[in-house]
Amino acid sequence: MTESGPLTTHVLNTGDGVPAARMSLSLHRLDSEMKIWTMLSVSMTNEDGRCSGLISREAFVPGMYKLRYETGSYWDSLGQNSFYPYAEVVFTISDSKQKIHLPLLMSRFSYSTYRGS
Amino acid sequence: MSTLRLQQLHGHIFPENKTRAMATSSSPLTTHVLNTAKGVPGSNMALSLHRLDPLSETWMIITTGTTNADGRCPGLITQQMFLSGVYKLRFETGPYWESLGETSFYPYVEIVFTIDNPSQKYHIPLLLSQFSYSTYRGS
Repeated sequence: MTESGPLTTHVLNTGDGVPAARMSLSLHRLDSEMKIWTMLSVSMTNEDGRCSGLISREAFVPGMYKLRYETGSYWDSLGQNSFYPYAEVVFTISDSKQKIHLPLLMSRFSYSTYRGS
Repeated sequence: MSTLRLQQLHGHIFPENKTRAMATSSSPLTTHVLNTAKGVPGSNMALSLHRLDPLSETWMIITTGTTNADGRCPGLITQQMFLSGVYKLRFETGPYWESLGETSFYPYVEIVFTIDNPSQKYHIPLLLSQFSYSTYRGS
């Protein structure tokens, strides 16, 4: 039985070529009626830059979600500045039976994300 | 307060052309949208520039615009208005893909960045496909 849930992420520090360990992040869902974001979970990446257990299969209903990565705090903790105070990735889930893997590749002056597997 | 003074204040708070992309060609902040799925510029994409008001912690819209045929949007901000602070470029990527008859994973993309030194030039490209995007501080 998979413990990781239907949504996982993996943050890579491409500036240093290492996983981004101990980065705080949070998952939010947009309430479709009230048009406000509801925070679902707050987590931290592990030593491998991964984070699982963000949401349960039952809670992962279709809708608009946002993963917010505290990239600014991460670079601060390494004694470095960065161009982005945080990175938010907003995505749409239409089929909640899918498994969604969202990597974030980031350096101090760039980042990229994609829907992976 | 006199009517003249009220009019002056109104002019400061709601200057003409505040929210439409300005025609000036020397914006210190530029962007460039590339549709990497098709290998073409991301043209005709709506976008907006916002600055975070540090006191109220709310986003104030500075400019709205649409990318041209080359995926660029000149006139995002004037040097005068380009203060230090936290800014956000919001790209309406969802409607963009819809207009091409395609679905996409991201309803919009917001890039939040810090301007420490407004005397520098900042170029913020967005490389975009239906299921990925990347951005960087370029030149």
